[in-house]
Amino acid sequence: MIEFRDVAYVHPTGVRALDGVTLGIRGGETVAIVGENGAGKTTLVKHATGLLKPTSGTVTVDGVDTRDTSTAALSRKIGVAFQNPDHQLFSESVEEEVAFALRNFGFSRELVEGRVSWGLELFGLAEYRRSSPLILSGGEKKRLTLACILAWDPAVVILDEPTVGQDALQKEKLGETIRMLSSTGKTVVVVSHDIEFLWPLQPRVVVMKAGRVVADGPAKSVMMMGQALDSARVAEPHLVTLYRALAQRPDSPFVGPHEARAWIEGGSAPH
Amino acid sequence: MILEIDGLNFRYPDAPKKAVDSFSLQVPESEIVVLAGASGCGKSTLLRAINGLIPHMYAGDYSGDVRVGGSSVKASSMRELAQRVGFLFQNPENQIFMFTVERDIAFGLENLGVPRQEMRRRVDEAIGLLGIGSLAQRAPYELSDGQKQRVALAGVLAMRPKLIILDEPTSLLDPKTALDFVDLVANLRKDVGATFLIVEHRLDLLVKVADRMVVMSSGRKVLDGSPSEVLMGDEADGFGVSIPAVSRVQKLLAKDGLAGVDRLYDAEEVAAIRQRERR
Amino acid sequence: MMWLSGGFIFRSGNSRFHRLDPRVKLLISILTFATALIARYIYEIGLVVAFILVVAAAATVLTRIARTMALTATFSAFIFVVNFLFTRNLESSSLYAFRFVAIVVSTSLFFVTTTPDELERVMKMFRLPRDVVFAFVTAVRFVPVMMLDALQIMDAQKSRGLELDKGNILRRARNMIPILIPLVVNAVVRSGELAEAMESRAYGASERPTSLVEYRAKRVDKVVALAAVVVFLLAAYSFYSLLAPIAL
Repeated sequence: MIEFRDVAYVHPTGVRALDGVTLGIRGGETVAIVGENGAGKTTLVKHATGLLKPTSGTVTVDGVDTRDTSTAALSRKIGVAFQNPDHQLFSESVEEEVAFALRNFGFSRELVEGRVSWGLELFGLAEYRRSSPLILSGGEKKRLTLACILAWDPAVVILDEPTVGQDALQKEKLGETIRMLSSTGKTVVVVSHDIEFLWPLQPRVVVMKAGRVVADGPAKSVMMMGQALDSARVAEPHLVTLYRALAQRPDSPFVGPHEARAWIEGGSAPH
Repeated sequence: MILEIDGLNFRYPDAPKKAVDSFSLQVPESEIVVLAGASGCGKSTLLRAINGLIPHMYAGDYSGDVRVGGSSVKASSMRELAQRVGFLFQNPENQIFMFTVERDIAFGLENLGVPRQEMRRRVDEAIGLLGIGSLAQRAPYELSDGQKQRVALAGVLAMRPKLIILDEPTSLLDPKTALDFVDLVANLRKDVGATFLIVEHRLDLLVKVADRMVVMSSGRKVLDGSPSEVLMGDEADGFGVSIPAVSRVQKLLAKDGLAGVDRLYDAEEVAAIRQRERR
Repeated sequence: MMWLSGGFIFRSGNSRFHRLDPRVKLLISILTFATALIARYIYEIGLVVAFILVVAAAATVLTRIARTMALTATFSAFIFVVNFLFTRNLESSSLYAFRFVAIVVSTSLFFVTTTPDELERVMKMFRLPRDVVFAFVTAVRFVPVMMLDALQIMDAQKSRGLELDKGNILRRARNMIPILIPLVVNAVVRSGELAEAMESRAYGASERPTSLVEYRAKRVDKVVALAAVVVFLLAAYSFYSLLAPIAL
């Protein structure tokens, strides 16, 4: 679906933000990209939709080099929700906000109408249809940006730091949304340093450090990498710490309460 | 008591409901108190009523009393309050005004008209406390998010406030940087004896250093106790507070008959207790 | 816009000229400006420009000043044409055109070598009200922040299928709306947060705010200032008369 081949990106200022990234994202996968601020996560995402073009190496989407097409064409397939909703909400009403991209993509009037209603319904925003997006709460704005993207039904959804500034309930809803997207066959890429949020989703985890991919695999194995995570300044999930502490004693194998163990291994926290 | 809030009510003009509703709280000196609750529960309003932005900058229906260090916030001027209550806002970017770190740290002192020598001493002290000596001559745009956070805090510390409010201080930081920041707060409490009131969603980070946790919902205080009382209890879940996964497991370990889990431990500690149990 | 940012926005440098007291740098700029005004022949303007270029070279900002000059050239050609159409006088028209270049670069020299911090100091020296100085400081301080905002907004809207450089002029202007509205909204939110932070740090609390850094002219500053004045007087004398009517 998306292929990064030995991608390097050097900023106009001379900073090497990506330094030889090779990474393939297959259709239907749920991938988390983690790493400290400045590790190159967002720069990588911007390459997927051609907002940035690699200094060297190639990025292809469905076999098409991003250099040979436009961001508009790529965005039709890949919807990106950036971190700050205030950086994109501008319309007079919530429904206009959702319709904006659909009109840009040339959807018919009836289709726009239908998709807008569907998107607002899906994210519980129907009652705000005619309100200004600016009066929404932080959590609602976030959901609106997701509705805006899902309305044009891209095959890939990329979420850039979706949990920043969100409280427990809002995070829970976000988690549900991501599960829902995965189950409907969407490819979901989550860029986040919120490990506690990612862990229950059990995604494929790509760890970045100084513009490179330093680890890549299922959450369960990557999150057990201890030192590798430490050197990338990624915190391991608390449950993993607990599991390791309990399990790693040679004199005493891990025999926690059955339930607790199941959660830890299953990756989800009890409620 | 450094902070006393007695039956505070506040309603913004034209708002249908009170943002803060019959809220009372007493905080002794040098405590680290975490204030938690879902978005829109009134935390931000409460914080602004403590540092005086309410009622001095934002008017509304105000009743009850807030006292910091014994004197009423309502009756004090912003000049006095700025020296008594330090406020670190959520986005450090929007509280760094000057072109160099050093001059920004001095901003509040310059405004107060503190003499140059005294100002120099206090700026250097704040720089020392936060370990940002190497940044003193930098411009704001040359700083990382974590560094901006420290610079903004230094500007607050230079005023030598008794009470320091941190409004979601780690929301923009990555986890390791956030942990460093929490350690820094714990050290500051030791070094300068200040009292901290911290609003934060990421409770897992603060469990270790907090003395107390207060949960708000719809403008009211609904829970108030030690972090373990609040997080190991059954009520916090319902108020939009994110219970750290480890706390959930600990609760279960405790139910499973694991003695000694009456306060919150970090993962390593739980493992050690479990180990002892098994012998 | 671009030539403005190239020629008038400070970028850090550390030459001896940079380290001069900003008042001295301002004096030099004003004096070269004045010399350009009283010059009556093109070769005199040429001398002024040469002088500025030498100083710019010493201050390691020659490339930037040269770029400012090149970009000013279009405007100055326009001045030349207009003048020539009206006066039909080749000499005076080219004098005006060259004088414009000299005036721009003499101003540019001050701005590219003076930190915003020093600018603030100069403003304070002129006893401008504190609010005015502070408004200036914040405006300059947040220029890079707002530029970053603008870039992020553009990325977000492009990701929603907005094609900025498509269509006719009217369409392109309309394409700016999704960029400008969030930019303004963010600026308003930001200014609210700034106001809160200012209040919380006692802005305006004292009638007589103090300053962390003390500014005192060093010996080198005094010597340079004196030299600048002497050079100016010599130039003025050699251009014959300070009292002669300006220009032809």
